[in-house]
Amino acid sequence: MIELRNIHKRYGDRTVLDIPHVSFSESQRYALIGMNGCGKTTLLRILAGTLQPDTGECRGVLISDLGYLPQTPYAFSFSVQKNVEIALQRAPDASQCAAQALRKVGMHSLRNARGDRLSGGETQRMAFARMIARPHALLLLDEPTSAADIRGTDQIERALLDYATANNCTIILSTHSPAQALRLAQEILFLDQGKLVEQAPAEKLLKSPQHASTHAFLQHWKI
Amino acid sequence: MDDLIKALQLLFGQDPDLRQIIAVTLRMSLMSTSISALLGIPLGVCLGAYEFRSKRWLQRFTNTLMGLPPVVAGLAVFLLLSRSGPLGTWKLLYSVTAMVIAQVILITPIITGLTSNIISLRAPQIKETAAGMGIPHLQQMGYLIYECRSQLISTILAGFGRAIAEVGAVQIVGGNIQHKTRVMTTAIMMQTNMGHFHFAIALGIVLLCIAFAINVVVHKMDGLDSR
Repeated sequence: MIELRNIHKRYGDRTVLDIPHVSFSESQRYALIGMNGCGKTTLLRILAGTLQPDTGECRGVLISDLGYLPQTPYAFSFSVQKNVEIALQRAPDASQCAAQALRKVGMHSLRNARGDRLSGGETQRMAFARMIARPHALLLLDEPTSAADIRGTDQIERALLDYATANNCTIILSTHSPAQALRLAQEILFLDQGKLVEQAPAEKLLKSPQHASTHAFLQHWKI
Repeated sequence: MDDLIKALQLLFGQDPDLRQIIAVTLRMSLMSTSISALLGIPLGVCLGAYEFRSKRWLQRFTNTLMGLPPVVAGLAVFLLLSRSGPLGTWKLLYSVTAMVIAQVILITPIITGLTSNIISLRAPQIKETAAGMGIPHLQQMGYLIYECRSQLISTILAGFGRAIAEVGAVQIVGGNIQHKTRVMTTAIMMQTNMGHFHFAIALGIVLLCIAFAINVVVHKMDGLDSR
């Protein structure tokens, strides 16, 4: 189990995260939702170990066993295939695993293209392929489909669910789309101004939010 | 016009003085640029890629040194290496080594500052992406430098450009001694004062050609990066 206690993070005068306690069970899928600047990225960065909180502790995360996809992943100037292979750390079957991961996100045909010449959506799919190229116990995804079109989004979502089933891993992702949270997560955490306002099973939180701010946020959700 | 024709004749002739001046200039500039790159790039990478307590002060200090007047650097090295100075026993004054030392003082901050700016633009994104893939720290730095390679080469070439065109510091610590420390810039100054315009023009043309070649290489690098 992953547990965060008394996590507090400030940027200057602004408190961006203030969570007394939150836990994530193994092999479960979680979605973080909330307005811009509510602390989703900060929470994921703290879990990934790329950002240190001002106070508090994070237990149960083994850095060597996690994959973290940042909101704006970097595409290196070598080929798309090599961009994925570097995530495999010289594994003997790196080439095959990378090709397979690229195939899952529909990027295999672009495997010889230069990574830094891809569009935003293609970069995101390539970066996602890096995450699913090898097994992880914990996968942290910061808005993994924000730049992808509907086909790309579908490819990423399918690949993610397949990966979760095959590897029995914990997934925590942030998204702006409640619909996507519902499709991908078993449980949703709603954050508002750095605070964890509500945590509940996905359908329950979206259908009958308990907190006024969750309710207000979901009122913007229209199809 | 007469001087220009004489200058061209000099350039395409076998004048030993001209060749010797060009050779000393290239030797000095290449040595000082190499040493400055070896010092400045690692320093710049550290300044650009890491967060530490005195970072801002170091950046300010580097930025100040980037604008260091050459004559001040020349004076400092002169006082250091003069017979009564702390390093006077080394007997380096009026040698190419002294000129290289002065140029290293001038160029290292430039390479450090520019490197730091280049690295700081890409470091957060590259480090975060690489850390997310579990790539070890040293390897992350390797990728960071690799991704900034063309800009870093441009920085080194900018340093070389500064070294080859520098006159104040090398005049003070080199002394413009014939066949020993005379370089293109100091020679141009001297020949102009003496009224030997054809020699000064010939050296000027060589300097311009080198500056042009550097520009071509820099643009080639930028082109490679954006292709």
